[in-house]
Amino acid sequence: MNWRPRRSLALLTLALGAVAAGLVRGEVYQEPDAFVAEVFGSRPAPKVLWLTKDIQTQAAAILGHPPAQLRQRYWSDSHRNVWILEEIGKEELITAGFVVVDGRIDHVRVLVYRESRGQEVRYPSFLKQFKEAKLAQGDRLDREIDGITGATLSVGAMERMARLALYFDKKSRQ
Amino acid sequence: MLFFLILIVTGLVLNHGHGLGLDGRFVHAEWLARWYGIRSEPPRHTFRSEHHVLIAANGRWLLDGRISGEKLPQPVGLVELVDIFVVASDAALYVYRENGELIEKLGPGALPGSPVRAIGSSARGIVIRTASAMFTSADALFWRPASQRSVRWSMPAELSISERRAYEEALAPGISAQQLLLDLHSGRFAGRYGPLVVDLLAVLLAVLSLTGAWLFLVPRMHRGRH
Repeated sequence: MNWRPRRSLALLTLALGAVAAGLVRGEVYQEPDAFVAEVFGSRPAPKVLWLTKDIQTQAAAILGHPPAQLRQRYWSDSHRNVWILEEIGKEELITAGFVVVDGRIDHVRVLVYRESRGQEVRYPSFLKQFKEAKLAQGDRLDREIDGITGATLSVGAMERMARLALYFDKKSRQ
Repeated sequence: MLFFLILIVTGLVLNHGHGLGLDGRFVHAEWLARWYGIRSEPPRHTFRSEHHVLIAANGRWLLDGRISGEKLPQPVGLVELVDIFVVASDAALYVYRENGELIEKLGPGALPGSPVRAIGSSARGIVIRTASAMFTSADALFWRPASQRSVRWSMPAELSISERRAYEEALAPGISAQQLLLDLHSGRFAGRYGPLVVDLLAVLLAVLSLTGAWLFLVPRMHRGRH
């Protein structure tokens, strides 16, 4: 085998490896680290919200299942908090970043999407619905979020995460 | 009759699969894994600390005698501190309370480096060794560079044959309940020709329905004319 086929084979192997790694890890639109750095201009030290029994109960009511862990890290400057949350759409976790300012969502971004369908939730046309959303009575959003055909469960997961980010934000400021 | 009953029940349950939480449920049985051609990986190693034991196989962890998770990675070690213990995989750390409650899962963004090659403990707390450096933390929140000195690295211990057999059944690979019901409903569970058999039986059901309706209605229509 001369160098050309060997190089092609190596490139093919690399490409297949990258595809396989992508399938395992899901579609990474932005690394969570990079999202935090983009919001603050640098990466501040994380803070932690411990999920007390009360917070766990309310988080479970929002999510429809108990929260997966007992402490939630977040990043903060004097007036913005960044929450990076994960929730299952249908079978796999969706990772999303929420920037909350004064109890309202400033912006949302889908960072990692691992489901096989429903990626439309990452489009700005869908995400802009969350802008300025705040918690209303019963820790619900103060607005209806329009669904996307074929992405119902992912839309539901995004809405639950938005509610949870606002709820955690409220608790972190108390 | 049994066939139609299976079709009806599986169809009804599938229609409400999300509400019933079928996505997150798995059926574990060695024979089922064999039927699906899934190669069961026997547990080979265990990680032990003073109070905790971890055995892993087929994406499942048997942690202190309790099964946790379905798609968990292969662990690289387990260390115990005063009131927490930590399991490391190459891409994440799982921090637990003494009672086994998960405090936090630290993914690549929360780790000072990855992949994690080894985990150990020192007087300063947890120590991890990544491909490029070593880091230490007292709380798995703030990390700083560490030196190699006086670290007790977590090492896997070999399982005996009898232990392997005992744990193999407990850690059998799982099939998603939704997938199983879907395969029963479509006939794919029976193999390549299963869907064809289901199709034929569906056509037969349609023929039976039509001929039954015809046998019921035609005599009545004739009687009506006389």
